[in-house]
Amino acid sequence: MLEVRQVDVHYGDIQALWNVSFRVEDGEIVSLIGSNGAGKTTVLKTISGILSLTKGSVTIGGIRSDTIKAYQIVEHGVSLVPEGRRLFRDMTVLENLELGGYIARSRLNKDENLRWIFQMFPVLQQRIHQLAGTLSGGEQQMLAIARGLMSEPKLLLVDELSLGLAPLIVKHIYMTLKEINRSKKMTILIVEQNVRLALEISDRGYIIENGRITGEGKGSELLKSDKVKTAYLAMG
Amino acid sequence: MLRFIQILSYGLLNGALYGLVALGLSLVFGVMNYLMVAHGGLIMLAAYTTFWAFFYTHIDPFLFILVVTPLFFIIGWILFKILFQSLMRFPEGEKIKNSLLISFGLLLIFSNLAILFWTADERAVTTVYSGKVLDVFGVRLPYIGLGGVAIAMIVIIALHFFLTRTYFGKAIRAVSLDHEAATLMGINVNKVCLVAFSIGFALAGIPGVITSLQAFNPAISFDLTNKALIVLILAGVGSIKGVLIGGFFLGAIEAAGVYLVGTPYREVFGLILFVLILMFRPQGLAGKRA
Repeated sequence: MLEVRQVDVHYGDIQALWNVSFRVEDGEIVSLIGSNGAGKTTVLKTISGILSLTKGSVTIGGIRSDTIKAYQIVEHGVSLVPEGRRLFRDMTVLENLELGGYIARSRLNKDENLRWIFQMFPVLQQRIHQLAGTLSGGEQQMLAIARGLMSEPKLLLVDELSLGLAPLIVKHIYMTLKEINRSKKMTILIVEQNVRLALEISDRGYIIENGRITGEGKGSELLKSDKVKTAYLAMG
Repeated sequence: MLRFIQILSYGLLNGALYGLVALGLSLVFGVMNYLMVAHGGLIMLAAYTTFWAFFYTHIDPFLFILVVTPLFFIIGWILFKILFQSLMRFPEGEKIKNSLLISFGLLLIFSNLAILFWTADERAVTTVYSGKVLDVFGVRLPYIGLGGVAIAMIVIIALHFFLTRTYFGKAIRAVSLDHEAATLMGINVNKVCLVAFSIGFALAGIPGVITSLQAFNPAISFDLTNKALIVLILAGVGSIKGVLIGGFFLGAIEAAGVYLVGTPYREVFGLILFVLILMFRPQGLAGKRA
């Protein structure tokens, strides 16, 4: 589904990613874990075309995606749920969802997709005409994910969804993602600081440190590994 | 009392035009943070275009809206490509400053071109209904002013529906809120800005036609930009509905000034209002605090 190969990314003169390579197979949930500033968000922004790479390649479903414009990546079946949610706060819940399904292909299935999304997140249906900025944090995160799903992606990228949310809500949203992964065979790449939670629902995980991939393994294996235990779970 | 109502209704009729004048400026500023002070110049050029077309054809000037609007849309498209597209990558503050510089230059070029082509003399399109008034209990309402109000209402409501009911309109609003998030939705931000900018130009065509029915000269470009900026401040940035209300409000304030002090001070009251709003309610009368 996704192959990132030897990617370097710079912010101006400052290099943020060094030779990053990893892959996500069809139908997998993969998490990218690491501490603040390790380059997790940079990886997602690069895949979704917001940032351009200086070396290497990104291939999505067999097609090079690093050469096309950022807004066209959505049409290739990739959707990013950005860090901090980035909702259109002065627009209603419904309008946010409609914009999520902006591309021509998903406009046709708007009603069907809305029905599906309201099944998963019934609270959004109750808030349908409310401005996005007036929702609670958890509801906003649900809306951000729902908006990302409206374009019917094959690959969903989720950036730090736990940020500023109560643990119970985070758990609920992750379970919903797992359910979507199972029922829709949707491939999901998660970036998360809450390492335990991310690895628990992931098939595999990669560790990123200072802009370099330093480890990989099955979710359950990584949870047990000494490296993860000491560095991220404070169990050393 | 009758004199006051008369002055006030003139003020409100003018106010509808002010709303129309500010509409394009407000849209462009809201979507891409470009402060298009050349807007008044565009309206003046549209007025001359109408005057000139009427001179040769003698078709009803209101019908020229159908020609002038698309024409200015195309001019906007071209000018965006040549002058304004390169500003897109700048941060917010730089966009305002640079677009202000470029469009101020354009404003000077437009008014001087108008002097060159049409001289600085006062012009006006004279139709059969020019100067005719509707008498409502002794209050005289000129037909042209009433036509202006009707058109202002139609245009603002149409724009509101476009922005809230169509996918492209929603994309324009999404871009005005967050460029990067809009890109993530698959919206081509560059294209949306190009179209919104061109719509801003097209929206200069409509008040241009109405302006041509009153006496005008090349210097009105500066006055019109002034009015547009005052209405923009009154309405709050990015508020389309607020623009019409802001226009009426400015018209009413000017009318009050005319009634209390006298016609020569009409402009002063608008500018005092401008300063007061910036001092005490910088988010605009209708706007929310950021």
